[in-house]
Amino acid sequence: MSMVPSRNWTNSQDRCDLKGSRRDRGETPLAPVISYLNLGQNVMNRGRSLPVVFLGPALVVLIVLALIPTIYAINISLQNRTLSAPDSDYVWFANYIALFSDARFLNALWVSLKWEVISVSLTMITGIGLGIAMFEAASPRWRNILCFLFIIPVLLPRVCAAFVWKFAVHPLYGSVTWPVRALTGQTPDVLASPNSALFTVAFVDVWQWGLFFAVIVLKLLESLPPQPIEAARIDRIKGWRVHRYITLPMLKLPLISLTLVKAIESLRSFDLVYVMTRGGPGISTETLDMYAYSQGFIEAGRISYASSMAVIMLVISILMFSTIWKRIGT
Amino acid sequence: MATVECRSVRKSYGEHEVISDFSLSIEDHEFVVFLGPSGCGKSTILRMVAGLEDITGGDLMIGGRRVNDLDPGDRGIAMVFQNYALYPHMSVRENITFALERAGETKDMIARRLAPVVETLGLQVYLNRKPTELSGGQQQRVAIARAMIKTPEVFLFDEPLSNLDAKLRGHLRVEIARLHKELRSTSIYVTHDQLEAMTLADRIVLMNAGRIEQMGTPEEIYSRPATLFAAGFIGTPGMNFFNLVASGGKLTDGEISIDAPFPLSERPVTVGIRPGAISLVRDGMPGAIPAIADRDEFHGETRLLSLTAGRQSFMVAVPASVRVAEGEQVFVSLAPDQLHLFDTESGARIDA
Repeated sequence: MSMVPSRNWTNSQDRCDLKGSRRDRGETPLAPVISYLNLGQNVMNRGRSLPVVFLGPALVVLIVLALIPTIYAINISLQNRTLSAPDSDYVWFANYIALFSDARFLNALWVSLKWEVISVSLTMITGIGLGIAMFEAASPRWRNILCFLFIIPVLLPRVCAAFVWKFAVHPLYGSVTWPVRALTGQTPDVLASPNSALFTVAFVDVWQWGLFFAVIVLKLLESLPPQPIEAARIDRIKGWRVHRYITLPMLKLPLISLTLVKAIESLRSFDLVYVMTRGGPGISTETLDMYAYSQGFIEAGRISYASSMAVIMLVISILMFSTIWKRIGT
Repeated sequence: MATVECRSVRKSYGEHEVISDFSLSIEDHEFVVFLGPSGCGKSTILRMVAGLEDITGGDLMIGGRRVNDLDPGDRGIAMVFQNYALYPHMSVRENITFALERAGETKDMIARRLAPVVETLGLQVYLNRKPTELSGGQQQRVAIARAMIKTPEVFLFDEPLSNLDAKLRGHLRVEIARLHKELRSTSIYVTHDQLEAMTLADRIVLMNAGRIEQMGTPEEIYSRPATLFAAGFIGTPGMNFFNLVASGGKLTDGEISIDAPFPLSERPVTVGIRPGAISLVRDGMPGAIPAIADRDEFHGETRLLSLTAGRQSFMVAVPASVRVAEGEQVFVSLAPDQLHLFDTESGARIDA
């Protein structure tokens, strides 16, 4: 009896394909059982369409924001489009071939790799080091205070953080430069020399993320059961060795996850580099995304050339992360 | 092998003193069990001996040496924890040999020391597994192996069997007793399980609220409990208590009356008697007390009867073959030589 009205309901709506297919599904061999169990057809249909309801909007947004631009970028990268000319032709892989004889592109690849390694490793070292230091030395009260302070930098939008530190190390007005000048009589301009520029930008990155990771590491350490640490003390393991041999191996998986999170995050540090150095001095801090941006919009307007760089970056990062992820997963 | 001595050891957390003036001397080779209810301070004392808790005051001597300020690793102790405390990322073999490896022992030496330990505890097949792949009993065996391989002067056990199910607990208890017989190391064992205490201990230290309630062999504590607490804590089923008044050679509450085993001044006393020391008798026996049967629990070999006599209710253990209907009137007699008398107010034992 209960099936009759619901069937009427679906019939009345069968203009719509989705609803029509619902009716089809209602006639599976299980249907009598389901109606016997008093699971109305509507309930079952709702259960089937629920994943679509939840995933649909997100997928649509993702397709609009990510998939379409990606396909568009791949398409453009196969042409010779520039900002100055209205028309363009397909040149297929000419852009990609040109890239590998472009010394500035190879430099950008190298800088990106350096940036990735330096920012990720410094962040992890700082996070783990500070986390352990707080765990060992700070009272619960101090831990709370420090955790609060350490979270503040990461709450700043990265552009703000970049400006704060750019001004702080400014050779004339910088709040960091001033005491150095007062003490040594010299005026350092850290962003003006190739080596120190990259490390200064990395410092700001670590200031934001390393301190935040220190809080996470501290919380991870606090969540560990205390007995293995006590057992280690009885086994004559003292001081930092407890962490080297016991706690950090116990935290291996969460620490690997943190490293991956930071690696992905470091890939997206265009805004930091853009504000602080614009890739300078020279091209010494010009990462791949920075170079693509200047090729596309600042210097030449070679949109296609820039797009081919973006595609290469996409392919490299997908390859790198999926191999790392697989390696760790097994 | 070593003696352990606590001299007026104190422990306080801020203002709050949990252990005050704890003194105890443990002989070489002795197996001492700290027994007491949760929160009585027994684990705290064990952890102070281990060096995992700071000692607020007093002296702790191991092997005649003051060790208050020594690191746990330098005290010559090994400890087995309630939740095993194995290193989860290491294999069983690595767990057992970790301390030796870090101490820089040669591979050859480690292998030679590992073999007998693994043999004794039957861990050969598990050596390459991770702790998470083992059952609780096996994990605790690994923890005992990890303690044994260090050949410590003092073994500390912190409720090692509490996380195991009843059957395994029995197995491992026998194993610990056997190990102690072989190794003869001084051992301190903390538990709240009186069966473990009675079966393992050379000497039981019965604790309550941070103090030693009674100290002695299991037999001593069972047959001559020094306080009401000791009398009530030891023994399953628990001792019966009657609140009576001594007057004129009798102990009475107005309704029941028993002969005092020795002359007493007139005062309130608590009489304790174990359920097994009460027997059912025929009416008319001298000193027989009439009682009504309330409940009958079948325990296998024995039957536990709950009886009421006047205002007093108590338990009697009888052979399982005896059948008593609920509500039936019976007569009981208390074995006069098995009465324990305590001062009702102070709880202290009264002897002749």
